Amino acid sequence: MTTQAEVVELAGPRGGPLPAGSRAEGPRPAGRVTALWRRRRAVRLLVGRDLKVRYASSALGYVWSVLEPLLMAAMYWFVFTQVFHRSAGEEPYIVFLLAGLLPWTWFNSGVTDTAKALHSEAKLVRSTNVPREIWVLRVVASKGVEFLLSLPVLFLFVLIYRAPVSWQVLLLVPATLLMAVLLLGIGLLLAPLVVLVRDLERIVRIVLRLGFYASPVVFAVPDVPAPWAGLFALNPLSGIFELCRAGFFPGHVHWAHVGLSALVSAVVLLVGWAVFARLERTVLKEI
Amino acid sequence: MPTATDPVIAVRGAGVRFSRGRRHRSLRDWVLRGEGGLRTDEFWALRDVNFDVRPGEAIGVVGRNGQGKSTLLKLIAGVMLPDAGAVDVATGVAPLIEITGGFVNDLTVRDNIALTAGLHGMSKQSIAERFDEMVAFAEMADFLDTPYKHLSSGMKVRVAFAVVSRLEEPIILVDEVLAVGDKAFKRKCYARMDELVAAGRTLFLVSHSEGDLRRFCTRGLYLRQGRLVADGPMPEVLAAYAEEDEGDK
Repeated sequence: MTTQAEVVELAGPRGGPLPAGSRAEGPRPAGRVTALWRRRRAVRLLVGRDLKVRYASSALGYVWSVLEPLLMAAMYWFVFTQVFHRSAGEEPYIVFLLAGLLPWTWFNSGVTDTAKALHSEAKLVRSTNVPREIWVLRVVASKGVEFLLSLPVLFLFVLIYRAPVSWQVLLLVPATLLMAVLLLGIGLLLAPLVVLVRDLERIVRIVLRLGFYASPVVFAVPDVPAPWAGLFALNPLSGIFELCRAGFFPGHVHWAHVGLSALVSAVVLLVGWAVFARLERTVLKEI
Repeated sequence: MPTATDPVIAVRGAGVRFSRGRRHRSLRDWVLRGEGGLRTDEFWALRDVNFDVRPGEAIGVVGRNGQGKSTLLKLIAGVMLPDAGAVDVATGVAPLIEITGGFVNDLTVRDNIALTAGLHGMSKQSIAERFDEMVAFAEMADFLDTPYKHLSSGMKVRVAFAVVSRLEEPIILVDEVLAVGDKAFKRKCYARMDELVAAGRTLFLVSHSEGDLRRFCTRGLYLRQGRLVADGPMPEVLAAYAEEDEGDK
């Protein structure tokens, strides 16, 4: 890696705060974070743009973002309480479902869109010099805002079913943060790979469909029989969903799951960022 | 070369490697040929390029198609990274490269101006201050609330040029954008570029037009097969280019 050493060397003597246009900070992890922080306004602008396009261009903007999880919840509620005799999950089941489906919707759309974040914005990526992580971060953030805006629907059903609400509803905050970390990691990993290997986008879609049943959305981790329960606990979404449901189902949180989830998310972010930094050079040429 | 001012752009042994093969590999290619499959077919689009640029210089890059001119500009703009050597740019850059790239079809001209200027690092306050100026320059006052996709291609370039040429960055990169647009607008663009050069901005121009190069640039860089073969006063570089070009025929 003589290249990196030279870059650092060249930047060094000139000293002072490195201006936005400098190419010197590229490869160093700390430099990447500060560069990202310096251009945080670009993230805000892009998120604003996404929400504007989403909510301003269609009359039913807000409805669209909650309609899918609502319909899914209605369908699962019918299948698992009317057709089958429900043995998993908790009562009221519709609240249980929504508290899992809303974050799942964020995860699902987040992974789908971050995977093509660089590919679909190729023109912008080719013409603007912002830290490239922004293209992934921006998707995670705008999908996250949509998730937060969909939460009132959950509380509406909590009110309708008079479900008890405890202080643990505040655990939605760490749940949101954990999910953002996990999604950012997955996105940074997938976005450059999708540019280089196009078929990956389809694979991602298939894995996501399987992932729905491999995550505790329509059931809870303790509902899974013994030999498999450990595997489900390793799924970082398990801990996140438990945090989301904590406020309505007392004793639902298993802190071991949450700890594992935090650990896995952090590792995914580190690996994702390392892969992203490594492939950046190639991606910029291929895009 | 001892000089009074530090360079704003320092290019040291810069090289960029491209593969001649297919741009996108499918999974099948990866599995069948492995990662090394394309390595044999690589070439250097830029190789061992060295030069310094001091503040306020106006530089023209000449060379035939495919000799690395645009790649060099992209390195300086920071939208491509060198495979070898280093490119150090000390200040912000206003890149007039693929300038319509950042515009969103579904948003209005007004939103697009704010968004693009912001993405290129212009502060909210400067955008507000310069908004009318940009609109007047692009002659877009009547189309502010029109979705960008409804503009003609000439109008799109006009908006883009108006925004990017008003960024307060000390370095301006121009890549053939002046080839589009009608005569009247071209004249305005020229006037704007004159203004920028007169104000002491550093200009980097890629063009095939000898007239433009002579008009704006004092120093020339001649690229052939990815190597910097001449670096000197513009008229001399143009002469060298013309001579070699003749010789190749």
